Amino acid sequence: MVTVSETPIARPVRAARQSPLRPLNLLLMAILGVIFFLWLVLPFGLAVIWSLVDPATGWEYPDVLPPNLTIARWSEVWTTTALPQALRNSYLLAPCAAVIALILAMPTAYCFARYDFPGKGIAQVLTLLPLVVPGFVLAIFFSSLIFNLGIYSRFLSILLAHCVLFLPYAIRIMTVSFEMVNQDLIDAARDLGASPFERFRVAFFPVLAPGILASLIIVFTQSIEEFAIAFIVGAPNFVTIPSILYSYLGYNFVRPNAAVVSLVLVVPNVLLLLVLERLLKSANPDQAGVKG
Amino acid sequence: MTLRRSLTIVALLIPGLGLILAMIGSVFYVAVMQSFGFFNLTGEDAFSLEHWHDVFDSRAYWRALRYSAYVAVISAVGSVILAYPLAIWLRRPFRGAGLVSGMLKAPYFVPGLVAAFLFLNVVAYHGVLNQFLMWIGVTDAPIRFQNDRNAIGLLFLQIWKNLPLALILLTGAVQSISDDVLDAARDLGAGRFDRFRKVIAPLTVSAMQAALVIIFIGAAGDFAFQVTVGPTNVQSMAQYMVFLKDSFGRWNQAAVVGVSLMALALVGSLTLAAVSRFVLKGGRW
Repeated sequence: MVTVSETPIARPVRAARQSPLRPLNLLLMAILGVIFFLWLVLPFGLAVIWSLVDPATGWEYPDVLPPNLTIARWSEVWTTTALPQALRNSYLLAPCAAVIALILAMPTAYCFARYDFPGKGIAQVLTLLPLVVPGFVLAIFFSSLIFNLGIYSRFLSILLAHCVLFLPYAIRIMTVSFEMVNQDLIDAARDLGASPFERFRVAFFPVLAPGILASLIIVFTQSIEEFAIAFIVGAPNFVTIPSILYSYLGYNFVRPNAAVVSLVLVVPNVLLLLVLERLLKSANPDQAGVKG
Repeated sequence: MTLRRSLTIVALLIPGLGLILAMIGSVFYVAVMQSFGFFNLTGEDAFSLEHWHDVFDSRAYWRALRYSAYVAVISAVGSVILAYPLAIWLRRPFRGAGLVSGMLKAPYFVPGLVAAFLFLNVVAYHGVLNQFLMWIGVTDAPIRFQNDRNAIGLLFLQIWKNLPLALILLTGAVQSISDDVLDAARDLGAGRFDRFRKVIAPLTVSAMQAALVIIFIGAAGDFAFQVTVGPTNVQSMAQYMVFLKDSFGRWNQAAVVGVSLMALALVGSLTLAAVSRFVLKGGRW
C-alpha cells in the first residue's frame, strides 16, 4: 500500500533524510530513557557510591543509601594495595605498545593501501588472526612459549604480546588512512623537487594524522584493559590494573575496593574513546579527500 | 610483477603481517605439540596420546565443552536478534538517534571485568534489583541472580557487552541499503515483515555473520564473566584450562583443552554462520 507521504511529490522532503519525531519515536525514546537509566546510569552510579562508602559504618541492608560518604577507600586502596604499582605498569605498557604497534603496522598498511598483489584479500584476512584466537589460549601458550625460550622479563613479554594482539586495529586504521592519501599530491610534490621527507610531510602526514592518533588511542586503551595475557604471563608478581581488579572480584570479594579500581580503569579509557570517536569521524573517507 | 616489486611487498608485509603469523603460528604450534607430549617444562618429550585420553575420560571436560558451546550460541544469536530491530530503527536519522546509538554502544567500551562488577552490584542479594522486585511484589524473598545454575545472569552480561558490536556491524549494513530498494519493495506491496525477510535480511547477511562469528568466539573463550558471575557447578573451557595449568602444572592436559577450545571456536562459529545464512536467505544457500 502506498501512503501519502510516499508519493513522489513528498519525495524532496525526504531527501533531507531526517524524519520528524513521530509519536512512535517519542514512545521509543521514553522507553530508551528508562533503559538508559538501567543500562548505564544505575550500574555506574552504584559503583561510584560503593567507592565512597565509609569503611567504619559500611552500607548494610536495609539502608537505601550509605549512612556516610567519604573518600577514605580511595586513599586506603592507594596506600595499602599494589594499585600505584599497577597503574605504573599499565600506563608504561600501554604507550609503548601503542607506539610500537603503530610503527610495526605502518609498512603493512602502506602495502595494503597502495599496492595490488595476488593474495591480498587473504593477507588482509590473516591480519585479523589475533582477534579470533581465544584470549586465554593465546595467553597460556604464549607464556609456555616464552618459558621455553627462556625469556623472563614480564614487562617485555606482555609488551610483545600486546603489540601483536592489537596490531590488527592499527593495520586496519592505517590502511584506510593510506588509501586516502592523494597520489596527485605526491606526484606534484615530487615534480616540484621535494625530498622523500618533504613529500611525506606535505602529502602523507596531514591525511594520516587523524589515523595515527586513532591507532595510538585504540591500542593504548585496549592494552590498559587487557586481562588474559597480563594475568597469565604477569602472575604472580607483575600486576596491571585489570589483574588488581580481578583479585577483588575473585575469592576475596571486596566490593568497595573493586569499585575504586573499576573507576580507575574505566574513566580514563572512556574519555580517550570519546576522543577516538571524533577522530574516526574526521578520518572517514566519505568526508575527506579520496585516493588519487 | 617484477622481482623487485615482489620483494618490496614482502618486505613491507614482514613487520606487520609477518609478526602476526609468526606469533600466532608459534602459539598454535606450542599448544598442539604440548597436547601430544612435547614442549614439557619438566620431564622427557615424547609423542603420546595419553593426555587426550585423560582429558576425554573426564566428565568435567565434556561438561565444560557443552557449557561453553551453550553460552557462545545463546550470546551470539541473542545479541544479533536484539540488534536487528534496533539497527533498522536507527537506519534513518531522527532527532536523538545519535544519543540512542551512543548509549547502546557504550557497553562495548566497558572492560569485561568492570562490566561484571557493575552487574554484581545491580543484582546483589540485597541489591537494587531484588529490592525493586520485592517492592512491586514479584517475589517475597530476594532471588539469587549471581552464579545461578542456568547462567542466566552470565548470558545477560554477555549480551549487554556484545549487543553493541552486533549493532555497529548491522547498522553499517542496514544503512548501506538505499531507500530506492526499500521503496520499490514497498510499492510492490511488501509489508514490514516481507521487507525484512526479502530485502534487508539477504542484503545484510555478511555483516550478521561477522557479528555472530566474533561474538561466538569471544563468548566460547570467556573467563572473566564465568569466574565472577557464572555458575559454580560447571567450568567454562577457558576456566578449565587455567585450572588444569594451575593445579599441579598439568600443561599437557591444559593444551588438550586449549586445542579443543580453538576447534570449538572455529567449527562452532562457521556452523553458526552457515546456518544463519541459510535461514536469512529463506532456506536457500
